[in-house]
Amino acid sequence: MKPSPFHPVQISLGLVVWSVWFVALYAGLAVACERAPQAPGAGGPIALNVGFGLFTLATAGLLALSATACLRALRREPERPPRERFVARVGAAVHLIALAATLFIGVPLLGLPPCV
Amino acid sequence: MFAVPGLGACTGPQSMLDPAGPAARDVAGLWWGMFVVAVVVLLGVTATWLVGMGRRPPTLDDAREKRVVRRWIVLGGVLLPSTCIAVLLAFGIAAGHRMLPLPLAGEAPLRVDVLARQWRWEVRYGGGAALINELRLPAGRPVDVHVRSLDVIHAFWVPRLGGKIDAIPGRTNVVRLQADEAGEYRGQCAEFCGTRHALMVLHVTAMEAGAFAGWLEAASR
Amino acid sequence: MTRPHTPEADRVHADFDAVWGTPPGWRTLTVVNHTTIGLRFMLTGLAFFLVGGLFAMLVRVQLALPGLDVLTPELYNQAFTMHGTVMMFLFAVPVMEGLAVYLLPKMLGARDLVYPRLSAFGYWCYLFGGLILLSSVVLGVAPDTGWFMYTPLSSVPHSPGPNPDFWLIGITFAEISAVSAGVELVVAVLRTRAPGMSLDRMPLYAWYILVMAMMIVVGFPPLILGSILLELERAADFAFFDVTRGGDPVLWQHLFWLFGHPEVYIIFLPAAGIVSTLLPVFAQRPLVAYTPVVLAVLATGFISFALWVHHMFTVGIPQLAQAFFSAASMLVAVPTGVQVFAWLATLWLGRPLWKVPMLWLAGFLFVFVAGGLTGVMLALVPFNWQVHDTQFVVAHLHYVLVGGMFFPLVAGVYYWLPHFSGRMPSARLGRYGFWLVFVGFNLTFLVMHWTGLLGMPRRVYTYEEGLGWDLPNLVSSVGSFVMAIGVATVLVDIALHFRFGRRATPNPWHADTLEWATSLPPGAYNFASLPEIDSRHPLWERDGLADEIAHGKHGLPGIAHGRRETWGVEPLSGRVREIVHLPGNTLLPLVVAVLLAAVCIGLLAKAYLPAAAFALAATVGMLRWSWENGAHPRAAPDATTPPDHPPLHSRTCDGPGLWGMNLTLLADGALYLSLLFSWFYLWTVAPAWQLPAGGAARGGGLLLASAVLLTVASITLRRLVLRLRQGIGAGTAGGLAAVTAAGVASAGLLVFALRDPRLAPTATAHDALVVFILGYNLFHCALAALATALQVARVRAGYVGAGMPYEPLVVARLWYYAAAVAWSSYAALGLFPTAWRAT
Repeated sequence: MKPSPFHPVQISLGLVVWSVWFVALYAGLAVACERAPQAPGAGGPIALNVGFGLFTLATAGLLALSATACLRALRREPERPPRERFVARVGAAVHLIALAATLFIGVPLLGLPPCV
Repeated sequence: MFAVPGLGACTGPQSMLDPAGPAARDVAGLWWGMFVVAVVVLLGVTATWLVGMGRRPPTLDDAREKRVVRRWIVLGGVLLPSTCIAVLLAFGIAAGHRMLPLPLAGEAPLRVDVLARQWRWEVRYGGGAALINELRLPAGRPVDVHVRSLDVIHAFWVPRLGGKIDAIPGRTNVVRLQADEAGEYRGQCAEFCGTRHALMVLHVTAMEAGAFAGWLEAASR
Repeated sequence: MTRPHTPEADRVHADFDAVWGTPPGWRTLTVVNHTTIGLRFMLTGLAFFLVGGLFAMLVRVQLALPGLDVLTPELYNQAFTMHGTVMMFLFAVPVMEGLAVYLLPKMLGARDLVYPRLSAFGYWCYLFGGLILLSSVVLGVAPDTGWFMYTPLSSVPHSPGPNPDFWLIGITFAEISAVSAGVELVVAVLRTRAPGMSLDRMPLYAWYILVMAMMIVVGFPPLILGSILLELERAADFAFFDVTRGGDPVLWQHLFWLFGHPEVYIIFLPAAGIVSTLLPVFAQRPLVAYTPVVLAVLATGFISFALWVHHMFTVGIPQLAQAFFSAASMLVAVPTGVQVFAWLATLWLGRPLWKVPMLWLAGFLFVFVAGGLTGVMLALVPFNWQVHDTQFVVAHLHYVLVGGMFFPLVAGVYYWLPHFSGRMPSARLGRYGFWLVFVGFNLTFLVMHWTGLLGMPRRVYTYEEGLGWDLPNLVSSVGSFVMAIGVATVLVDIALHFRFGRRATPNPWHADTLEWATSLPPGAYNFASLPEIDSRHPLWERDGLADEIAHGKHGLPGIAHGRRETWGVEPLSGRVREIVHLPGNTLLPLVVAVLLAAVCIGLLAKAYLPAAAFALAATVGMLRWSWENGAHPRAAPDATTPPDHPPLHSRTCDGPGLWGMNLTLLADGALYLSLLFSWFYLWTVAPAWQLPAGGAARGGGLLLASAVLLTVASITLRRLVLRLRQGIGAGTAGGLAAVTAAGVASAGLLVFALRDPRLAPTATAHDALVVFILGYNLFHCALAALATALQVARVRAGYVGAGMPYEPLVVARLWYYAAAVAWSSYAALGLFPTAWRAT
């Protein structure tokens, strides 16, 4: 199931995961606000923000693990042909980019109420 | 941006750089901050290009070159934009939050209903007062403008008081405005709405609280 | 021609020209070769650019002074709508694609693109679609609701004339070319490179085009869907966007910008690819940071799909959701920053030359970075609420698009001119042209930021005195004329060079990429032999490579078999895997495109019977086209290969056709996902969502039955293909016929579902979408059945059989797709409503 760190799919896998997270976040927010809106202006952490925040952290964790897997494989197998090492290097970086994008886009969850 | 001084001042009946309310002032402040940073970045990048075109650098060995390149990419390509956008987002979220029509602690905001249609504005107040292409507000008090459309999409916008909001069939959107002082302001439909879109102007008058109350009472009858 | 004129090279050229050459006279209409098609794309794009520019000048004349009435409001609205539409859809995207179509095979060391007939077909669709759109100007009914066609302004009650129909039908027709080129370019990059050109040795331009083409494949379908829905609403009164019937005009905005924002990057990325190609040549050193630039391009490609809502910050979406899009919009500044600094560092470490193309690149840098900076500002939600829909946005988008597309394009045109003409551009007139455009452009648009900040909305046909807008508008109008004179100077310069330009020497700029190893201008076959590549900069590292190629010293040098061929390689390593044989010149793409144009005209004239007849004829034409494929003698006149060579792709199980099918289904899937998005979106968000009076979920059971049938058929087809691969040919025709029958039966079920008298697509958006989803399923059942029926005939004709499973293998993908669509449609229409109501 898990693709090899040297498989070309790594070139876009991280950002695909990020896309799925983004769609789920946006769609989930729309559905949540439609079905169970929370009163705006209430102080303290809001359940929806906490929920989406945890989801964001989980996605970020997954991306970090995948990036580490690529980096480890690079160190473990230095004898691979350059083109395969290129794929793993790009793969690791793409996972890290996706990780950064996930965290950065998730930041507003800390400061804004969900449904207004 | 650089040709600005020659073209006249920032004032104008519809100038967002001549703010007359808290929301518009926040945005004008954001603009000037962003403007300065943007000019510095643009000039810096352009100057680097021009200097680079004229340089005849010594040949570096591979390791040195790699270090130099990494510095350019990490500092210029990644850190510079990341820092800028992080700072900007922090300011932006805070400013956006202040503009939301959230419940207020003190006096409740005045509610005004604005109905947009091709090509005029209908303004209605709670007591039955109504105006066409004219909006009257009490100065110094927040006003929640509830915007609806009766035909196509329009956008309600009084630049000197705050940002715009679309009038969309089937929806009611709310924008909170406040005029600091009594005076005349100008608004205009911002979303293209057909042949006479350019003529869909709204005249806004902010009145002293007492005068406004008097007018509203008279007009409600 | 700069070809070496040794007797041997002449003989090789003559032999190749006999198979590949472009015929004279009316038969040039049959040409499918990428060099010719690419040039046609670019020349046609230039013509549309001039038309679009004319509209812009009209707009600027009208706005020069307050209260002018050079144009009536009606004409003004047509002018700005057509300006945007023509520039975006008929100039920017097609020209960038045309350049890629022209260059890509040459850079990759291939002889042609993988689907030459599709290239030609795409070109004709583009030309006819554009002409249909422009005909509306002549008829006085040009689209006038803005280039993003917001409903309900573009709906029948507010636009009763045919104006929006010309936009919807003409542009959708022209977009066939975008999507087909997108599919073709992806497959070309992945599968037809020079041997040894592994992914990490690919020229950066190929990376840019790969990402751009993937973005087209995924990004254009939402707009195509939106256009079809809106046209159905206009022509047949289906209720998709009408809020009183449970639709939502904001749905249109989502579909439009789901396409519209990626499109900006679809335009920018190939232009950035030009920059990354030219800049190292003129800096006389490789581009630094190859891998970071590749990463930046990939990241841009993905992130740009998460920006679309920043065009909709004022529609009243919750601010938290806006903040996600705000953050994502700012985030693209980072990969762009990486590219900009990679370019700067390359200059810094290189020994750059101020040639005319470099001048345009410098202009690009200034203008584009300025546009990028205002772009970051616009991503800031509160600031956006102020400047959205003002002249500030107009200025910003021109900085991004003219800076990010036009400047690099002109740089590229100057750079590749020797390729088109065999001559070098002038040095002096080109500089005048640049400075006029640069000064004129900034005069027009730098000032326009200010006009916007002073509160002038976009798309107003006039303005009053005394608002402070008079002077900046006048400056902008004067500037636009300076810019127009500059563009004219550039065009004159280019026209003159064809006559007076110095003859180009081989590789005149001392470039590193393979397109400079052809003769100038190149023969239709590009390379008489295909070299093995072992670095990123073949022409810098191997002297005499061009001569060796012309003398047939490298791969696939023979042409005695009379077939057009190029290497097919493994996507990652670039190892040779098969010989891809390519079809020759044919009139069929033109014929089919003409028939489809007739369909469009029929729809515009509301003559539905003739339109249906032409659609039928076009289908027959396409079947005829697909008949000359694979083992058909016209596809490969002589199918023998030397013993040490790999097989022809049509005798393998993994040719470019399979990749093309997968990518086409990806585009189709993007359209289908947009359709499901519309369905769920309206359920969740439509202000007046309503269920039909009957209430029951319609068509659910029949969809389920159809899904089961399609699944059984898919499994059967898969078995048949496996048997063919094992060399068992008996019973294939019968099996395929049974599969066809299952498709027909499934289509019958869906027709029955659609004939449910309770379905009222004109009454509710709910039923309109149900009908559309059922129709989408029906279309795919019918298509799969038709394709399989054709396979039955091809088995009988001997083109498909034991050991030749390629074609049914490709068709099987269509079945898997149709089955997946049926299952998910059943889930969406049959199961979801019950679950939604239960919670």
